[in-house]
Amino acid sequence: MMWVLILTEVVTFGLLFVTFAVTRAVHPDLFAAGQAQLDPALGGINTLVLITSGWLAALAVESRAGGRRTTARLQLGGAMALGAVFITIKLAEYIAKGQAGIGIETDTFFTLYFLLTGFHLLHVVLGIAILAAVAFSDSVENLKTGTAFWHMVDLVWVVMYPLIYLVG
Amino acid sequence: MSRNTARQITQAWGILVLLTVLSLAASHSGLGSLAVNGLILAAVFAKGRWMLMDFLKLRSVPSGWQVLFLCWLGLITLIAWGATAFPVLHG
Repeated sequence: MMWVLILTEVVTFGLLFVTFAVTRAVHPDLFAAGQAQLDPALGGINTLVLITSGWLAALAVESRAGGRRTTARLQLGGAMALGAVFITIKLAEYIAKGQAGIGIETDTFFTLYFLLTGFHLLHVVLGIAILAAVAFSDSVENLKTGTAFWHMVDLVWVVMYPLIYLVG
Repeated sequence: MSRNTARQITQAWGILVLLTVLSLAASHSGLGSLAVNGLILAAVFAKGRWMLMDFLKLRSVPSGWQVLFLCWLGLITLIAWGATAFPVLHG
């Protein structure tokens, strides 16, 4: 069941990625201009933050399976804290865009930018809540399921970041 | 904690960090965009595969799931590269 849910999520994001890619092919100049207004370093930092968070979440499952509950909880706490760092950086990016007069209706690039990153950001918030829940109800199976959702959120960002910020 | 599994997870993390930094550097390299886009998207596929196998533990589930997820990853990266190549190839 867990794999069905994760596949459903990645297919949904996949459709959004295809929409973004096809629209880029139709409006290459508009997308190049929009991409030039993004900060790839900030997106890169956020990628490193989420990758490290996923690493801690994966280690937490191994710790719990080895009977080290406190270590597992600390690792989950670290994963959640890094999730919060991701949200903070993302919100700072949104605020900077707002101050530059850029919003969801600026053009097609930014409509898709806010749609994709905003939808992902909601998943990050939900993922942190799920990690918090499995940190309390910490059977090995719960940890596997909760961290699997978190890894899916990481995976989606790892694909989304280069599509939006780097390739062009 | 299984030392081998933990080491495998940490190795995967190191590779993911390295590929992320290299992708960022490649995007600033000023080399031909189609080749750079190809390299960055190849890194996306590699990173996604490592995340699926070592973080999500996809290697321990039936191979049908591995095929589905890797096909998804491959398809997305191919379409993304094709979308950036299309305007260049059509002038």
